[in-house]
Amino acid sequence: MNHISLTINKKMYSIDVEEDVRLIDLLRDQLFLTGTKEGCGEGECGACTVIMDGRVVNSCLVMAFQAEGSNITTIEGMSDKDELHPIQKAFLDKGAVQCGFCTPGMVLSAKSLLDKNENPTREEIREGISGNLCRCTGYNKIVDAIELASKEIREEKKE
Amino acid sequence: MKKRGKGIAATFYGTGYGNGFPDVSKAVAEVDHDGNVNIYVCATEVGQGAKTIIIQMVAEILGLGMNDIHLISEDTSQTLDTGTAAASRQTYNTGNAVKKAVEVLKSKLLEKAKEHLKLPSLLGLEVKDKVIYLKTFPKKRVCFKDLIEEKISVEETFTAQTVQMDEETGQGAPYWPYTFSCYGVEVEVDTETGIIEVIKGVCAQDVGRAINPELIEGQIDGGFSMGLGYGIMEKLNCKDGEIKNNKFSKYLIPTALDMPELEKIIVEDPESSAPFGAKGIGEPVILPAAPAILNAIYDAIGVRFYEIPVTPDKVLSEINREI
Repeated sequence: MNHISLTINKKMYSIDVEEDVRLIDLLRDQLFLTGTKEGCGEGECGACTVIMDGRVVNSCLVMAFQAEGSNITTIEGMSDKDELHPIQKAFLDKGAVQCGFCTPGMVLSAKSLLDKNENPTREEIREGISGNLCRCTGYNKIVDAIELASKEIREEKKE
Repeated sequence: MKKRGKGIAATFYGTGYGNGFPDVSKAVAEVDHDGNVNIYVCATEVGQGAKTIIIQMVAEILGLGMNDIHLISEDTSQTLDTGTAAASRQTYNTGNAVKKAVEVLKSKLLEKAKEHLKLPSLLGLEVKDKVIYLKTFPKKRVCFKDLIEEKISVEETFTAQTVQMDEETGQGAPYWPYTFSCYGVEVEVDTETGIIEVIKGVCAQDVGRAINPELIEGQIDGGFSMGLGYGIMEKLNCKDGEIKNNKFSKYLIPTALDMPELEKIIVEDPESSAPFGAKGIGEPVILPAAPAILNAIYDAIGVRFYEIPVTPDKVLSEINREI
């Protein structure tokens, strides 16, 4: 058993975790943050994507104890109370969601991309979400949504 | 060297179970004593938009906003059987059942309103936002809530027409209706690595009638991506009945980088037996992608492939054989 302290969605946690518990298990089973999805469990599909210290990681490939001292954002931390994040809003506006299983990971990969590059090209957007598999949408409407969100976020900053 | 080529493919696909198999959808439409409109179907929503278009159809018939309709779906303790969300059949089959039920419900409401308003005829009675009124004299009006003492519930069934094929001759009319598709693609084949990149796609899709164009576009994008994977990437690698490529590290599906931008052309030619003319497109949108890509590969490097997926190793071995 390890005792770790970390910040998840701006909230401090101090928690005991078993050695063999992955970050996704900690999020889903111990903290009930079930917005993070487990797809393949081997880092190929990106459904379990979270942002850890500014970088996207597959939470199925990170052990919980490795998250000691880190700052994590999950899909639950995207919206500001009842106000959806511009990326989430754009996904709805552009019809970028079908079954929805990849969506939390897609949104977080998009956030990580836009945090680093606020005006990406469509090709850069495709690269930014290339670690997230989607079987339903064919990605094009997701690219449209991230392009729209990037525009909205830049306009918000101007104001 | 990178070589480019273009290819097209046209396909048609019969929706529904077909071949004489019973294809039945049941729907219940009701207005309760509070004037609420409730629709009971069991059209499984897997992201394709079944719930959305069913609500749109009800809204169109009853002159309601989409938020005024309460859809109860996928709960088998409350709904009747509408068959599977398979065979691209929910829009056509369940759509027809819902349309029938809601139209009967509407005529019952109008009949009740005629009596309530003491009118001699149904002529000119309109329904909008849960109010029934006379078009030529709108003060003559009654709202659902005041009209209905006990809930009115209508159950309707739609059974598709299908003919079993003759086992001897293979003749028959297994499906009705058919959905047509035609895709054109441009590919770039790297003759050193064998990697095929699909760089552009144009998708013309017959839909009968586009109930929701945005959902159709989403289905085309998704279907193209599945067809692309089917044509050049996805290999189960079955050996002795066992799937060897049983994980995403071995079974490759397209990523955002593999998908081209698509130009989509929605072709509307209403089908007379369909609800508002709309046909199913879920599977049809997958079909032309792989053959169009294989035709484009032939155009690019002059090699005709007869097996899919056309993976880089196959491309290289064919190119080397040519040399």
